[in-house]
Amino acid sequence: MTDSPSRAANARTRATGLRLLDAHNLTAAYYTPEGNRVVAVDDVSISINEGEVLGIAGESGCGKSTLGAILSLTAREPLVVEGGTLEVDGKQQRLGPRAKVQRTWRGSVVSLLPQGAMNSISPTMRVRDLVFDVMRAHDRGVKRSEALDRARDRFEELGLPARALDAYPHQLSGGMKQRVVTVISTLLNPRLLIADEPTSALDVSSQKALIDMLLQMLDNKIMSGVVFITHDLPVLRTVSNRIAVMYAGKIAEIGDAEQIASEPRHPYSAALLGSVLVPEPGFRNKRVKGIPGSPPNLLNPPSGCRFHPRCGLAMDVCTKEEPPEVGDVLRFSSCFWTQQNPGTPVPLDRVIPSEEATMVETDRELADQLAGAEEGAR
Amino acid sequence: MDFAKYLGRKAIWYVIALFVALLLNFLLPRLIPGNPVDTIVSQMARGGGASGEQMKAIYAHYMQQFGLDKPMWEQFLVYLGHLAHGNLGTSFSQYPTSVNSLVAQALPWSIAIQLPAILIGWVVGNLIGAVAAYRGGWFDKGAFVGSLFASSMPYYCLAIVLLFVVGVHFGFLPIGGGYSLGLTPNLSPSFFGDAITYWWLPFWSLVIIFVGGQAVGMRSMAIYELGSDYVNYGRGLGLGDGRIVRYIFRNAMLPQITGLALSIGGMIGGALVTELVFSYPGIGTLLFSAISTNDYPLFSSITLLITLAVLAANFCVEIAYGIIDPRIRAAHSGER
Amino acid sequence: MRSIHLTPRFWVAASLVIFTLLVGLLGPLIIHVDPHATIGGLYDKPSGRSIGMWLGTDNAGQSVISNLVNGVRTSLFIGLVAGAISTVIGLVFGLVAGFQGGILDDILMGVTNIGLAIPSIVVVILLADALNGSTSFTLAMVIGITGWPWTARAVRAQATSIRNREHIDVARLSGARWVSILLWDVLPYLLSYVVMAFVLQMSGAILAEAAISMLGLGASGSVSLGIMLYWSLAWGSVRTGAWWAFLPPTLMLTLIAFSLLLLQSSLDEVFNPRLRRGRSRRRLAAVAAGTQAAVPTAAIVEPVLEGDRS
Repeated sequence: MTDSPSRAANARTRATGLRLLDAHNLTAAYYTPEGNRVVAVDDVSISINEGEVLGIAGESGCGKSTLGAILSLTAREPLVVEGGTLEVDGKQQRLGPRAKVQRTWRGSVVSLLPQGAMNSISPTMRVRDLVFDVMRAHDRGVKRSEALDRARDRFEELGLPARALDAYPHQLSGGMKQRVVTVISTLLNPRLLIADEPTSALDVSSQKALIDMLLQMLDNKIMSGVVFITHDLPVLRTVSNRIAVMYAGKIAEIGDAEQIASEPRHPYSAALLGSVLVPEPGFRNKRVKGIPGSPPNLLNPPSGCRFHPRCGLAMDVCTKEEPPEVGDVLRFSSCFWTQQNPGTPVPLDRVIPSEEATMVETDRELADQLAGAEEGAR
Repeated sequence: MDFAKYLGRKAIWYVIALFVALLLNFLLPRLIPGNPVDTIVSQMARGGGASGEQMKAIYAHYMQQFGLDKPMWEQFLVYLGHLAHGNLGTSFSQYPTSVNSLVAQALPWSIAIQLPAILIGWVVGNLIGAVAAYRGGWFDKGAFVGSLFASSMPYYCLAIVLLFVVGVHFGFLPIGGGYSLGLTPNLSPSFFGDAITYWWLPFWSLVIIFVGGQAVGMRSMAIYELGSDYVNYGRGLGLGDGRIVRYIFRNAMLPQITGLALSIGGMIGGALVTELVFSYPGIGTLLFSAISTNDYPLFSSITLLITLAVLAANFCVEIAYGIIDPRIRAAHSGER
Repeated sequence: MRSIHLTPRFWVAASLVIFTLLVGLLGPLIIHVDPHATIGGLYDKPSGRSIGMWLGTDNAGQSVISNLVNGVRTSLFIGLVAGAISTVIGLVFGLVAGFQGGILDDILMGVTNIGLAIPSIVVVILLADALNGSTSFTLAMVIGITGWPWTARAVRAQATSIRNREHIDVARLSGARWVSILLWDVLPYLLSYVVMAFVLQMSGAILAEAAISMLGLGASGSVSLGIMLYWSLAWGSVRTGAWWAFLPPTLMLTLIAFSLLLLQSSLDEVFNPRLRRGRSRRRLAAVAAGTQAAVPTAAIVEPVLEGDRS
């Protein structure tokens, strides 16, 4: 997993300049049993190019899985998508309470690779039954034998044993199940795959196998792009072309993976990346700092920039106005400091002051609740 | 291979359970101080009618049948031997009628009210529960509270209320027995037409309870499945609602099928008191009269019959489960 | 600790349960009439003449209302005793089996499975008959010692999952004896579950007592709802339209059963707030559907599913 430079280089050659997805103004909220509206993704727009892996990072409860649910068109109670549009290949899909989502978009245009994969296949059916059902859902006339032949070819192409098709989910190991699910998610050659924490429940070697397979699928043009959601930053660095860092339902910064890792342009991404050990030369001398405080209460988010209560660089304006997006659609940082200091990496030492004077009282319970609600929606 | 191992393990447990059940059936009635035959024969003598000679013959017959002069273990073997030949013994209270024929007379009546009630209640209850879980909203709320009430109501209480309201107060249906006085049970249409008027009330008293219980169970099962990962994933793959609902119900149905099989197995002992309420000529009424007349052979034969049916149903369910649900097989043939 | 939200359903259930408790506890003090005393003729109609006549007389000329309040008291007593016995046995078996594992687990679960397979109504009938002339207390014991197996199995499943948590390892490494680990580290997690199981056991026991009494195996000389029904059926009160003799015990039994089941399901919501969004734990749901059957068909509780899923 440490051979990131070469793979990242590969990834860069895969990425083309053609636009794959434009998502505009995505907004989604959870409705708690008490009747409160918690906006988990707030007016987020992202774009992905053909051949790209876009990583999404953030603390739990920041809305990254919610974003995955919106993009894969699988949001459901208590999560409600309140607005936004997806644009793939010039085809538009409106989102919102009254918008009708075409069923066939799921699976063939955008497809979901779920977290855990533990119970992603109904426990009483064989893998091949699901395979056939998926193919038939998009092509009514497909014959069972034909569908299974195609699946078998795909399994072999990706180096998976074809007999896994005859297995029940409980007969597969965790890593194998996750890879089988990955193949099923991409059976219909979707344009975009939304992978929500696919590696989180796996051991390191299974993680590597899965990531290799995903990259091979991109090379083989099985799908044209991947949104990779994880809290595991080292994994994200190896697999992504670009990384979007989310904070409190908004995108703090989005940019090239290497640039975000080495020269972050947003105080939050600097702090987030500063809080993980990366096995690289000199990491023994690095001081690791946690981010003081915890993510804000989304029921009642801070005014202005949502990170300002925890940010050492915060200025007056940060507490009052929404920060501007500095950069272009593919690479930007939502920060006043960056606006005033263009081209300069954020100094981590100043984001997290040693005396931690900026520590704020936050509503831990609500953050938990939101994380729980997000989990529940999966 | 897997399956054989699973089956073997289960079979061993059920043989042990059967043995324990037989032992209980054999021992408990003998725990009463004194020789049961003495008690019974003296009771019969008090009732009068039998001469001294007859009494002696009856006494000898029972002593021989139970082998009461032999040690306990030998008695148990005698008991098992009789059972193995399908011989349940001779009734005390209706001497010399055999228990077999008494049970054979009563059994069809019990089945006649139970089996249709179980089957129809199962189908209707599952439908209501499934629709409630899927539709949600007011239908769900109403169906849930109604079903919860129906399923929590003791079945004999509903029987009493129905008997009073429909049978006595409004006089719509006959209030007791299995058929009109003066008729003898036979398979003619006229007898059937008469018996069915007596059948309605016990049937309804059972079916309402069944519908409630099944609906509550199915609803919670289906709601649980609705929240599971494969539902979300199936939607993410573009599967149609109908297809996903089919997955849900396949998984939710498994425990419900168990319930059905077990209810059928528990049928004989399932509504003992219902029959009492309606004086229906089934096993429950027979058991009642066996208890009130201290008819031990009849009494313990009925309890044994109930046990055997339940054990058999349990065993069938375990086998069926092993076939239907691959996880169970894996879980059991493996470590435990 | 998250604050506990009490749902409206809980309050409805709790007030119904409190009502029955009041009837059973205070009723006999207010209705100062000996339930065994003959105060009238066969099925005298209810009248306001005296407290004892409020619900008329039964087949033996005894006061129905006095029998009713005393019967509720007996039924509650039997429910509490039998529920406590089966919950304690089930809890001990389940905890030890689930926490110890190994051969002890195999033996205890073997016994439990046999207990589940043999219909408990049969064992109760056989035992009640063997204990010729039982009292309410012995009847409660009999019902109690036949009702524990499903609690044992359910508790075992929970205990097994708790066994593997870290704080148990910590306790074990710090040298705590296993009894104290069971009591202080495992049991607290099961408490809410045990309370719900007890409520179900209690309602099952009350209904079982009534069924047994109606079959003619009731406690001789005592007053209970089941015995009231036994006599009113035997003396044809339903057929003759003497509603005051059979309707009060029937409705009271229904009320007790319904309120306890409602209490259990609302406790489930209170203890597991997520259920309110519609999720439900399979096991208790299945048991809830099976309590009623615990009387007639004994082992409706699924034989195989427990512990394998959830």
